Amino acid sequence: MSVVWTQVALAGLWGGLVALERKAFLQAMMSRPLVAATIMGALLDDVASGLAIGMLLELFFLGTANLGAALPENDTLAATGTSAAAATLSAATGAGSTPAIWSLAVLLFIGLGRVGRRGDRLLEGYTARLARVALASAEAGNLARAMRQNLWGMWPHFGVYGALTALCAFLGFCIEPLLQVLPPMVVRGLAWAWPAMASVAAAIAAQGSHARRAPLYAGLGAAVVTASVVCVLLLEDP
Amino acid sequence: MSVTPTALRFGVLLRVFLRSLFLQASWNPKGMQNLGLAYAVYPALEALYPPGPAREEAVRRHLVFFNTHPYVAAAIVGGVLNHEQRIARGEETPDKVVAFKAALMGPLAALGDGFFWLSLKPATGAVSAALVPLLGVWAVPLFLVLYNLVHVLLRVRLYWLGLTLGDRLVEAVARANLPARGARLRAVAATSAGGVAAWLAVSFGANAGGLYAPLLAAGCLALGVASYALVSRRVPNYVVLYVAAGLACVAGAFL
Repeated sequence: MSVVWTQVALAGLWGGLVALERKAFLQAMMSRPLVAATIMGALLDDVASGLAIGMLLELFFLGTANLGAALPENDTLAATGTSAAAATLSAATGAGSTPAIWSLAVLLFIGLGRVGRRGDRLLEGYTARLARVALASAEAGNLARAMRQNLWGMWPHFGVYGALTALCAFLGFCIEPLLQVLPPMVVRGLAWAWPAMASVAAAIAAQGSHARRAPLYAGLGAAVVTASVVCVLLLEDP
Repeated sequence: MSVTPTALRFGVLLRVFLRSLFLQASWNPKGMQNLGLAYAVYPALEALYPPGPAREEAVRRHLVFFNTHPYVAAAIVGGVLNHEQRIARGEETPDKVVAFKAALMGPLAALGDGFFWLSLKPATGAVSAALVPLLGVWAVPLFLVLYNLVHVLLRVRLYWLGLTLGDRLVEAVARANLPARGARLRAVAATSAGGVAAWLAVSFGANAGGLYAPLLAAGCLALGVASYALVSRRVPNYVVLYVAAGLACVAGAFL
């Protein structure tokens, strides 16, 4: 096993930055799975893995939303962790990116969404302490200190989620021997699992779209695309 | 004696807007966005009130509970500046700005959640994901442009409306008719998701080739339909995903 530490560090840096963008700053959707995973893939020299995993996770987490005090699953951590692991796994195999690698990475790392939600809940304890410090400082007339507390709330997210993403990148290198010992029929099965999981994620997205007549619209979209693809295939190969 | 200006300079208004982008930096369960709001409006309070009890009192009235949608909060931040300028001029009492925030944060949160989180985000996400097979990596910048064109323009516009209209911003926001636009966007999201599910199924069958091709495509489509039904009946998304992966693995290994 040969670990490329610059890739592990890059994964950690990007994972930390998008963790900030997700809630603490701007929220311009750089932290959405499609964007975060694709850029992770580009940083680790495997855009194909990033884009494929980003598309699947974007659809899988399409319906999640941060409403009020309710915490959704951390789709950003799931995306950065999974894409980092897939990219380092495919780098370790040296054979390039394949659907079997994407499937394996998704099956092993998609649960990070739940881990991230647990982490978000734990970090709220820290921000609650900052809020108490800010109120006490304002009461004491130290307004500058009170205002500074707001920015201190961001850095634990950067540190914790950056470290977790870096760990996923490292684990990608570690699980490469596992992929090598899998029988060819299992690898073929994993390759087939990819379109099946993506199809399921798209169905979950349709359900999570919150549209009033979602089945009708989704069926319409599916019918139009099926008819178009079949027509194109028949024209290409009469 | 220092003279306190009661009209805010453009530089201060810009600083407040930029700092409002950190509204949720220290989101906490008790005060929620209270630290973020006080942090955002602090440059304006510094400009409007001299150091001492008046400024401290102004900061403290923005450290109370505050929670709304982070984008539409720009309207409330603008409205707070509108009110604070009048308070500094002695035209109204401080309780007006507290009442303004309390009255607007709930309705604007519902409006923002419904339009941005439950409509615009799923619609742009689903459309971009559906375009990945056609555009490849260019679907990513397309997603960012589509989303942020609406997000940034509305955020700036709402800040300006709050700043110039104060309490009257409610009528201006109502005219934007965001709930109806949101419903149309949700339909777009569902249609795109259905389209991409079909594309994945049909292209999978075509790529696998051979005698099984139509069967595989139909099976993949059926898996999508079954997943929709299961998730609608509250079967956890993860369970559905893992079962589908398991079935496909077995099919791939033995067919």
